[in-house]
Amino acid sequence: MTTQPTISEETIGVWDGRITMRVKVAGVGSPLLYLHPAAGLAWDPFLSHLAERYTVYAPEFPGTSVGDPYAIHQVDDLTDVVLLYEELVRKLGLVKPVVVGQSFGGMLACELAAHFPDVPSALVVLDPIGLWLDEHPVANWIATPADRLPALLFHDPDSPAAQAMLALPEDPERQRAAIAGLVWAFGCTGKFTWPIPDRGLRGRLHRISARTLIVWGRQDKLANVAYAGEFVNAIAGSKVAIVDDCGHIPQVEKYDQTVQAADEFLG
Amino acid sequence: MKISLFAQAPYRYLPENFEQHHESVCDVPYSLTTREGVYSSIRDFMDELMFGARSGFDAVAVTEHGQSSYDMVPNPDLVASALAYMTEAEGIDVGIFPMGRSLGKSREPLRAAEEYAMIDVMSGGRLVPGLVVGLSYDSSINNGVPPIEVRKRFDENLELVLRAWKEQTPFAWNGKFSQYPMVNMWPRPLQADLPTWITGIGNPNTMRMCLERGFGFTYLSWFGAKLTGKRIFDRFWEIADQVSVPRNPYRLGFLQTVAVAESDEQAERDYAEHLEYGFRKGLGSIPMEKLGLPGGIDIRGVQALLKDPGDFGLYYQMKTATYRDLVDAGVVIAGSPATVRDQLREFCREYGIGNLHAMLSFGSLPRHLVMKNIQLFSEEVLPHLRDLWTDTGHQHHWWPERLGGSPGNWQIPANTGLAAAR
Repeated sequence: MTTQPTISEETIGVWDGRITMRVKVAGVGSPLLYLHPAAGLAWDPFLSHLAERYTVYAPEFPGTSVGDPYAIHQVDDLTDVVLLYEELVRKLGLVKPVVVGQSFGGMLACELAAHFPDVPSALVVLDPIGLWLDEHPVANWIATPADRLPALLFHDPDSPAAQAMLALPEDPERQRAAIAGLVWAFGCTGKFTWPIPDRGLRGRLHRISARTLIVWGRQDKLANVAYAGEFVNAIAGSKVAIVDDCGHIPQVEKYDQTVQAADEFLG
Repeated sequence: MKISLFAQAPYRYLPENFEQHHESVCDVPYSLTTREGVYSSIRDFMDELMFGARSGFDAVAVTEHGQSSYDMVPNPDLVASALAYMTEAEGIDVGIFPMGRSLGKSREPLRAAEEYAMIDVMSGGRLVPGLVVGLSYDSSINNGVPPIEVRKRFDENLELVLRAWKEQTPFAWNGKFSQYPMVNMWPRPLQADLPTWITGIGNPNTMRMCLERGFGFTYLSWFGAKLTGKRIFDRFWEIADQVSVPRNPYRLGFLQTVAVAESDEQAERDYAEHLEYGFRKGLGSIPMEKLGLPGGIDIRGVQALLKDPGDFGLYYQMKTATYRDLVDAGVVIAGSPATVRDQLREFCREYGIGNLHAMLSFGSLPRHLVMKNIQLFSEEVLPHLRDLWTDTGHQHHWWPERLGGSPGNWQIPANTGLAAAR
């Protein structure tokens, strides 16, 4: 396990100044863009590990930044979201970044790489959503009550890593703010995944030209591991790493195995 | 005071342990029903509404809920249109009040406007149109609208509906959620100014919109009026004061479940088990996350609700609520005619309510007891409430002209931009 690096924050105006993107930045080395899952950005040991070799840029999805919830109303469809992130990459001055995305962020990473094949130097996606198989319907995480989320997200919801991720602040005021923030983040990202998290990505995956690694928890109950095969088949030359005894968030539930897979791929 | 008969269409024959195994919405298994049970639940519901129309109520009112076992009304306009024609054919001057055609849910807003126009024509100008944002599960799970878009869809659809009713010449509508190259409804409503109501459960933004734009506001008091009434109605009138709108009781509607029998004791004997069925297997079996899906409630609203869930009253205990719990919380007002009318009159007087919507059928209540409740209410309660507010000089601007209202003349707040805009 690595120690947490110094994290700074940059704010970048995009979308004709209508949206201010907040970006957490840490580490040294060539650029890496990290796109967070539906619950919002949480800096975790996986990001700290990546920051040892890369300069990690982790933007907060519009509407999920504390104190700026209504930014989400400035962007209406997925194409606009992709354009907005491409603009952010340019304004941050990131040249051929590695793009890493988890779950919702994994879908976003694929969309970015499909719309703008020259942007990423490499793509790592962890249990991305974005495809749909009738025989393996993606669970509706947004409609899942809070007390059932741990069992949906983790193979072992009682594991220390899972418990640490789900812990809420003890102070009542901060706890309410955290819950409201999480709920709102689901709402903001849900604008582009509800009611079915399929906005046609399957038809665009063939455009991805970056080296791609698909990581999947074998016991993922939110998006079945069968989707890993769908991504691999659709993205030419992509590789897959299945993590055993692991649910939807491999970098938290199986940190060592996930880091190993990512490191081997990124070289 | 105007007094409506309000009814929902619950499936009346659910198994005793339903609430231990099922939710009442979205995935509630249809295998629990029988053909006969569905038919009689709907047939009785229609007959009961017609009995109310013939019994002297000022209006008959229904709401919209898709994929639910507690109100099998995916589109209230189907019910309202049947009532409109039947009452017109029988010469009954009663308002037709679909309370909540959900515009947050609607992907065909022009159709909603057309249906209301049609009902107004069929009823000869007796439509009281109610519009509602829509329940979270109904808009988003049943109808696929992203929760964060529901309110915005309502806002846009509302403008289209209002304009489609009024505008004399065809127009193009370029909305974010719907586009129509030519809006030119046939027929338009008979009423030049439809007395439009918005239904809600306490969102101050909705209240403010109603007050500023001259819509009536209906509060559905499912959660127990004794727990929530003061909060909600005080909030409404405080906002009215803020926007300098007169405290005209006719702009406020209140829905209340009522159970009348010969005596207080008889009311408990007749109605207790059916009330418990209704609220345990209905509202009590809608889980919280389906009432407020993420994004459906503004982030500040979520924080406010976490800090003070008081607007939800008895909701959190509803699944196991006893008759006594329901009575104590004011979820139901039950008893002899004297008990009921005294409580209703006092409540409506205290909170400035000029429109009462009495829900007299609930849960598994069989047809003959619904009819008894309607009859006792109409004969021994309703006549004692009607004169509330008659000596105040207030005009009812939220009721059809044919039925004694004067819509379109609501007072514009002097200190807002609206007065200048007109």
